[in-house]
Amino acid sequence: MFINRALQEISFKIVYYGPGLSGKTTNLEYIHRHLAPSMRSDLVTLNTREERTLYFDFMQLELGRIKGQKPRFNLYTVPGQVYYRFSRKIILKGVDGLVFVADSQRSRMGENLDSLLDLERNLIEMGFSLETFPWVIQYNKRDLRDVETIETMQAKLNFFGTAHFEAVAPNGTEVLSTLKTIITNVITKLELVA
Amino acid sequence: MDPAKEQNSQALVLSEDIYNGITELIQDLSASTGAKSVVFCESNGYAVTQVGTIKGLDLPAIASLAANNFSATARMADMLGEKSSFKYLYHEGDNINLYISNVGFDFILLVIFEVDVALGMVRIYTKKTINALAGLLQSASHKDAQAKQFLDAEFKNLLSEELNRSLNF
Ligand SMILES: Nc1nc2c(ncn2[C@@H]2O[C@H](COP(=O)(O)OP(=O)(O)O)[C@@H](O)[C@H]2O)c(=O)[nH]1
Ligand SMILES: [Mg+2]
Repeated sequence: MFINRALQEISFKIVYYGPGLSGKTTNLEYIHRHLAPSMRSDLVTLNTREERTLYFDFMQLELGRIKGQKPRFNLYTVPGQVYYRFSRKIILKGVDGLVFVADSQRSRMGENLDSLLDLERNLIEMGFSLETFPWVIQYNKRDLRDVETIETMQAKLNFFGTAHFEAVAPNGTEVLSTLKTIITNVITKLELVA
Repeated sequence: MDPAKEQNSQALVLSEDIYNGITELIQDLSASTGAKSVVFCESNGYAVTQVGTIKGLDLPAIASLAANNFSATARMADMLGEKSSFKYLYHEGDNINLYISNVGFDFILLVIFEVDVALGMVRIYTKKTINALAGLLQSASHKDAQAKQFLDAEFKNLLSEELNRSLNF
């Protein structure tokens, strides 16, 4: 979180985490398409030739003033592939809230869990834990045929019982409610601590 | 309060005086070097302020890229056994050069100038500015409870309404 009192801006960092190809970039692309241009920055994507996220994607969402303050949310995605673990650590620096984007395909359950454990490990190194950190989980690709049931995904991944969403990111299903909920959770946490 | 909670609630707060001081210093830097633009941002990628003549520069995106680029380089330095991060990053282009430096732990300074400007001069003036900024920023606070007083239940409700409005729920 960063507060600029001269401009009365309050900025937060929200990171979309999850295994490779789960739909993190697609979430940001939908949000970017959906928002009025006056409310957002460019969408920056750093891709490899195979169109996979190499380092991160970024966009900023800016809301109208609230009690005189202008809230801003810097949205990032991390590259999911195992070998980009240092990139992920760098992007997590200063994070205020997390969206874990899981791939609902049955064949991807192992990758989901690995990525979630990788996230928890990184948070612990930073002095946090998923148990208390503001985060939500999005079960993406619900439109595909061979998907795991929500009950099973909940049991395997959502061990702290945080809010969950059943999404189809390319058409925006539950993309904005995911975003709204993580923002609300971040603010709620601050309100409790303040 | 447990440490994780406390850390999570920590915000970097920039007062109005410090902000104005920063703006003045980077305006001076811009004038004395003839830079096209000088951008000042926080090291987690938040844009703070920018002066210069580049039209339509996407400040949030530039700040995010500069800060993450710098973090990645710092990480490399660390892996190579460097005790402190590299002091600056320099990119030489066909038309413009980029000079990125850290200002203490928490901030990054980005100077964008045309290739015909002498790098040596940019370095000398940037170094002077960084020293002045570092002095100024010593009083930038990580723990300013007052700055967050507006974050109450009312703020949360209004934010929720604003989100519904702006996301067209
Ligand atoms: N069928 C389907 N495909 C999706 C969905 N979300 C993302 N995809 C596709 O999955 C691929 C990887 O998505 P991407 O956002 O790049 O994944 P990332 O690696 O997490 O950033 C792309 O081809 C997307 O179009 C979804 O909900 N349903
Ligand atoms: Mg991606």
